[in-house]
Amino acid sequence: MSQFSVLLQKEWRENVRNYKIFWIPVVFILFGIMEPVINYFLPQILDSVGGLPEGAVLEIPTPTPEQILVAVTGQYQFIGMLALILAYMGTVAGERKSGTATLLYVRPLSFSAYFLSKWLMASLIALLSLWLGLLAAYYYTLLLFDTVNFADFLRFAATYSVWVVLIVSIVLAASAALPNAGMAAAVSLGSVLLMQLVDGLIGAYWSVSPLKIPVYAASWLNGRIDLVDFWISIGLVAVVIALLLIAGIWASRLNASKAKV
Amino acid sequence: MSLLDVKNLTKRYRRDLAVDHLSFSLQQHTATALIGPNGAGKTTALSMLAGLLKPTTGSITWDHTTGVGFLPQHPRFFPWLTALEFTEMAAKLSGVEAKKVRQQATRTLEFVGLAPALNKKTGTFSGGMKQRLGLAQAIVHQPELLLLDEPVSALDPAGRREIMNLLKSLQQDTTILYSTHILNDAEEMTDQLLFLQQGKLVEKGSLEEVKERYAEPRIRIHFQTAEDAGGFSRHMPWEAVQNGNRIDVAVTAKGPGMQEILTALTAAGDKVVGVERQTASLEDIFMKVAGGR
Repeated sequence: MSQFSVLLQKEWRENVRNYKIFWIPVVFILFGIMEPVINYFLPQILDSVGGLPEGAVLEIPTPTPEQILVAVTGQYQFIGMLALILAYMGTVAGERKSGTATLLYVRPLSFSAYFLSKWLMASLIALLSLWLGLLAAYYYTLLLFDTVNFADFLRFAATYSVWVVLIVSIVLAASAALPNAGMAAAVSLGSVLLMQLVDGLIGAYWSVSPLKIPVYAASWLNGRIDLVDFWISIGLVAVVIALLLIAGIWASRLNASKAKV
Repeated sequence: MSLLDVKNLTKRYRRDLAVDHLSFSLQQHTATALIGPNGAGKTTALSMLAGLLKPTTGSITWDHTTGVGFLPQHPRFFPWLTALEFTEMAAKLSGVEAKKVRQQATRTLEFVGLAPALNKKTGTFSGGMKQRLGLAQAIVHQPELLLLDEPVSALDPAGRREIMNLLKSLQQDTTILYSTHILNDAEEMTDQLLFLQQGKLVEKGSLEEVKERYAEPRIRIHFQTAEDAGGFSRHMPWEAVQNGNRIDVAVTAKGPGMQEILTALTAAGDKVVGVERQTASLEDIFMKVAGGR
């Protein structure tokens, strides 16, 4: 049995027995359902809250089902990413700091297998959570609003999946490089927010960027997408993910001697 | 045959020298005790030998095909894994053949006395059970070299005895290097002693050699009463320490010689009820080495 499969099995057991495989999807499903449900019941919610002057009429345009699904990713951009960061910030740094990694590092360990097994398991759980959340959002949007072209939905979800894998890669590389889980979380969260801020402020000046992936995901539903720019951006993200993986493996090996003995 | 050769092994943390030009060899199927006060560099030295720390300078030469097992002072396990799952993982990562893993892991856990806890999660283990599991993961791949950092210091006397017995039974097929500050353990299972002090190797040799080097033999004479002992020591030209009805006389190069003591004893007649020769204990030597250099 290769070291990779042994370590992947260990990661699987960890994610199951620490309930990450349950609570992360629950977070994504809840926030996936919340958007169509809140939008559907918004008039009733505002009525029940009250506070409007006598005779005032509040016109709320009904969002399109596509807008609802794009808004779901808006929720995921902060809450979803935060859940992933909190779940995986200690993946490498935590093992090192607690000393549990010592009994792994003392063996003839392949650090590529060590880091990649963690990355693959975290990515699979993140993607499972994302797809369950988006499918729940799709179902409730269909139920409460209208249908969305399913092929477009699949392209939208697949494109956003690339973004989620990028975030997972950032969290794991930070966890491998930094001395503790708290610092890894701070750097990861700071990076995610900074990327969104940069693209929000000056993203209009470029059309090709790894930061544009959530925008491209939304574009599949809006029907406006430049395929050349899209594929170049996807290629760039793939390069960035590959670089993060190399950095993560390197940092895991470099920092192994800092494991608590 | 030398299994491991360490030459000028040094670990420097900025200004601090944790290990300072440490050199020694380990012969096959011997037990070596690494002794020294807290902060002497024992854990750092063992970590370098286990490959967990990179030495600043120096060399470690040994046959890597034989494998190494390492038990840290406070082994920490993934609390959500069972003892069997953890030991199997350790075996697989150490290169044990897939078809032998289950059998070898089970047998090792039985050997360390964890048969009733095979399928219990390690998070529920007591300190003693963790130490046993730590030993199991260190030996599951049947390494030629076993490095143990304070293997019994966290255990109660009964647990210590059991683990020491396990280690003694392993000694026939394995070369063991272990650190300890429990000197009784070192006296019990050692072919070679290495004294570390502030990162430096300050004493080395077999237990007998070291004891011989530091020997300041004493003669303990027991009298019938404390008054007899006091009377004897008052009329004796040598320095003696009285404790109740007994006195200790140090036999040194400056005297007295054994002949002189025997003459004095003959003169004391039937007031003497017993005479015994005492040599320096490992604790005496430890105090001299740790305090004197």
